[in-house]
Amino acid sequence: MNDSDTVEEQEESSILVWLTGLTFLAAMVAVFIYVPTERTEGVIQRIMYFHIPCAWLSFFAFFVVFICSILFLWKKDREWDIYAHASAGIGVVFCSLVLITGPIWARPIWGAWWVWDARLTSTLILWIIYVSYLMLRSQSDAGSMRARYAAVLGIVGFLDIPLIHFSVLWWRSFHPQPKVISSEGIGKGMETGMLATLGISLCAFTLLYFLLMGVRVRQEKLKDEVDRLKRETLYSS
Amino acid sequence: MDNLGFLFAANAFVWGGIIFYVHTLKQRSRALEKDLEILKETLSKEG
Repeated sequence: MNDSDTVEEQEESSILVWLTGLTFLAAMVAVFIYVPTERTEGVIQRIMYFHIPCAWLSFFAFFVVFICSILFLWKKDREWDIYAHASAGIGVVFCSLVLITGPIWARPIWGAWWVWDARLTSTLILWIIYVSYLMLRSQSDAGSMRARYAAVLGIVGFLDIPLIHFSVLWWRSFHPQPKVISSEGIGKGMETGMLATLGISLCAFTLLYFLLMGVRVRQEKLKDEVDRLKRETLYSS
Repeated sequence: MDNLGFLFAANAFVWGGIIFYVHTLKQRSRALEKDLEILKETLSKEG
């Protein structure tokens, strides 16, 4: 990598930082000023504009883990392993936020912080799977057998996501039915202002994912370089 | 307004979580860059 590449990369990342910041600002204005208050749930329903984007971001991150893990096992290229590992960490952070904001929303509406409902339980299982993935990855060196086991876990774990989506349709659930992607079509179950606000929020969180991904991938590459130099120092002494 | 506290708490957790994660990443990047610099220096002295 030469200096002009680094400068170009820095410029791109600063554009992304600004774009993400501005989209988040627009999302905050939309959530707290523009969007009308929902009639039945009241002000608490505004949690949806954080809760759904956090869920979307974590599912997208785990989808990237799924694809990159397949490519890593197939091509045996460390680059794909780096992307999978980086994305899993981001996915776990946002899945944790889903598991925190969900109960905060549920408490005043359902009268309970947590119920062992199919969607909530399958989301908790998803979180446990990817926390295990990260634990396994933290114990393994690049290209080792354990890294390959972790990749298998990353692939198998993703199979829980369709289960989470369809759980509210297949079983009786406390959780509301899907409104964004429903049988009526995309976004048909929501009022336009609410849909627009959710759209802005989803954009902001998606941009944040790419921003964080850039940082995490750079870190993993730096870590590889540090490990390589450590080995070099060890052999030279 | 009802349930404003819950909305505030959820918002605070999301922002707090994001800020904490970004801060952790920043610290880790700094530590790695420092390690890399030290190792490069050590190798250039030896070689």
